[in-house]
Amino acid sequence: MATEQELSEFLRSVEKRAFKRSVYHVRDEEAALDIVQDSMMKLAEHYGDKPPGELPMLFQRILSNCTLDWFRRQKTRNALFSNMSDFEGAGDDGDFDLLETFASEQGSQQAESAEDTTRRAQVLRQIEDQIQELPARQREAFLMRYWEDMDVAETAAAMGCSEGSVKTHCSRAVAALSKALKAKGIQL
Amino acid sequence: MTSKMQYTGSEQLQERFGRAVGRRLSAGTAELPYHITERLRAARTQAVAKRRVEPTAPAVVASGGGKLAFGGFGLWRQIASALPLVVLAGGLVLIHSIQNERRATEVAEVDAQLLTDDLPPEAYADPGFVQFLKSGH
Repeated sequence: MATEQELSEFLRSVEKRAFKRSVYHVRDEEAALDIVQDSMMKLAEHYGDKPPGELPMLFQRILSNCTLDWFRRQKTRNALFSNMSDFEGAGDDGDFDLLETFASEQGSQQAESAEDTTRRAQVLRQIEDQIQELPARQREAFLMRYWEDMDVAETAAAMGCSEGSVKTHCSRAVAALSKALKAKGIQL
Repeated sequence: MTSKMQYTGSEQLQERFGRAVGRRLSAGTAELPYHITERLRAARTQAVAKRRVEPTAPAVVASGGGKLAFGGFGLWRQIASALPLVVLAGGLVLIHSIQNERRATEVAEVDAQLLTDDLPPEAYADPGFVQFLKSGH
């Protein structure tokens, strides 16, 4: 059973990423804060007695459900059609030659740290914009795999889909992102 | 867990790209505005405080369980708790009737003794009794 301290530490470790992920989905900071708060409350209230190791998966699942609940609560057609339909979205398969281009640019990656704060902020904003442009399921899979550091099985469990679907979503997301970022001249 | 050794070439590139984006995003979270971090801190505190209520929940459940356990015998419990009062009331009625009967018996015995006794001589000296005799009763 997670102690109060462990629960607090866990929430502290995930709250910022959870907020940003929610912002990418709902594109509204206030709504994202509400979603994260709601998720925290649900985790503490219903699963506060679970072992610390189970908290990350539970929280990811709760956060996803709270985000979906938020969309469901939106009564306007705009919110429903522009966002909910994204969850069913299926894009073109990735072009991995772009990834190879990315790979060839790995050598110059180290020089990135020399950029000033403004430049880094601009790059970050452009990356975030591109992530927001991804279909919701691709974005969800990509962020869980590469930002939350979850493996394929964990991501599949959290998203309620097969591991194959996670791999497909991730490869499509990576292909779309690499293509978009390359077009903007952004090197990672 | 999927190990990196199992990845194909394109999967490795995909993995590397994804991690690179993840690192950028992580760097961005460190620069969140103060009002956002404060809201998150408040939400976290509130959530943890909510959890603090949890340890009392089993006690509530336990007491509720106790009620449930007794729930099936509720009627019998009420009857059992009322029984001493019923016995007490019955006892009082019984004692009252016994005492009434005993008092009536005593009065009857006194009356019987008075009626069956010989008339004492001094009764004739009583003016009232004389008058009673004169009146013809």
